[in-house]
Amino acid sequence: MTVIARQALATAGLAATCFAIGCGPLHAAESPQEWLEKMSVALAETDFEGTLLRRQNGETEALKLIHKRVDGVINERVVSQEGNGLEIIRVGNEVHCIVPDRKSVLIEHWNDQTTMLPRLPGDADSIGPQYNLAIVREERVAGRNAVLLAIRPHDEFRFGHRFWLDEQTAFPLRAELVDGNGVLLEQIKFADISLGSTVPAAALKPSIDLAEFTWYTDRVRPEPVPVATDWVCDDLPAGFRIMSSEQEKLTGSEAPVTHIVYGDGLATVSVFIAERRDEPLSRRHSIGATNTFSADAGEYQVTVVGEVPEVTVRRIALSMRRDGDTVSTR
Amino acid sequence: MNDALKMQISAFVDGELPENETELLLRRLSQDAELREQVAHYLSIGRLIRQERVLPNMNGLRSRILAELGEEPTVSVPAQVKNESRLVRPAVGFAVAASVALLAIVGLRQATPPGEVPAESPVAAYTEPAIDDELLEMHRRHARTASDHGSSDMLGRFVAFELREGELVEVVPDEPRADDEDDEANETAGAEAATTAQEQ
Repeated sequence: MTVIARQALATAGLAATCFAIGCGPLHAAESPQEWLEKMSVALAETDFEGTLLRRQNGETEALKLIHKRVDGVINERVVSQEGNGLEIIRVGNEVHCIVPDRKSVLIEHWNDQTTMLPRLPGDADSIGPQYNLAIVREERVAGRNAVLLAIRPHDEFRFGHRFWLDEQTAFPLRAELVDGNGVLLEQIKFADISLGSTVPAAALKPSIDLAEFTWYTDRVRPEPVPVATDWVCDDLPAGFRIMSSEQEKLTGSEAPVTHIVYGDGLATVSVFIAERRDEPLSRRHSIGATNTFSADAGEYQVTVVGEVPEVTVRRIALSMRRDGDTVSTR
Repeated sequence: MNDALKMQISAFVDGELPENETELLLRRLSQDAELREQVAHYLSIGRLIRQERVLPNMNGLRSRILAELGEEPTVSVPAQVKNESRLVRPAVGFAVAASVALLAIVGLRQATPPGEVPAESPVAAYTEPAIDDELLEMHRRHARTASDHGSSDMLGRFVAFELREGELVEVVPDEPRADDEDDEANETAGAEAATTAQEQ
């Protein structure tokens, strides 16, 4: 396929059906699900270094990102290329966030799966019928040929995803989250990237002398405990199902909170239920693509957080009730 | 450990605690095994963190910290020390977090401006306050859980830290200071060196 032909396809914005004609046997032979699975493997196995541009709320920032597995342990270094020059050093689950202008280092612990890059469930089959997956077209990203995989929701209760996957490795070179109208919510893309690169060990070390820095760590808190909950959602959007239910304590509060997670295979929504301490309060928040809605339910405050449209968090927040209550307590 | 006590320890470490309060604090530490244990734990973390900067391999850091915490706690404050606060200072290298508030790298610094209240909202009292600690914590918990369930959201992929007063623990390395180089401090340093040798 020539560059001109590719540009023509891109300009025309042709849909998936056209792509099968234009993109040759390689992509036609591979389903979107296969691409997703290849992407999952590539993310887990590929060492890389590159410059990542992150765009949110109309602002773009650049990050230098280095990722390398050493004896099976994830080593990462992230350096903000602007602003306060923040660095993040990760070795396995131990994460140090270095803030030069504050002369501070914060220690965090991530789980094994946490990644700086977009990740979807490795099992593409878990993505339900609420989404349509399609290979849309080819484009160039970070100087490499990429295949655009679009995941479009069928209803208003979830966002869409677009992944530009490296043609050779399926590594995600660019990712976008879009709303139902195709409006961009968040984007990350590599301006340049070296895949499978041999990263010297020194490149994973902080560039700053930390001798005079103050180190902080979070308090040791009890792990969340799985619990059976009698809270149910009366009006859960189609495709969402309960993923987990735990009891935990949030920082700054001694009162236990019930944390229920719903998911549709792609999007996850957290519901936090706590005894209400103050007057009934309803509120909403939006940070990037993450929406929050709080509502009172009798003696409880229900707060819903998720990377889903506001209509979804609102609907879930307003339809939570304890099983056995015949009517809503609101 | 309540906030008042943390403030007291912080002032003590900074050498700014009045003498009468210092006396009380030391007495309490000498009598309260649990409190000593907490201080010792944080000291252990601080010590290991400092070692990590010179160790060629940090991979086992987390497990070493856990192992350290699982060990019999070091009694950092000798019970007999009452008035010699300078002897104790290197051992009680623990201070509460300063009032540092920052949001690193991304995300939460950019809460969108308050939106209009949708007309169809069934909720009477409807506000959109600035993001508060509780909501911030829920965001973080959500991001972590989403990752556990196999997908990670864009917000959660980046670190959004906020150092909040009283919520984070400052870990101070318990290396002897210049003005504390006496027998007591040397003993502490010797014990540390032994620990380092064992771990290596």
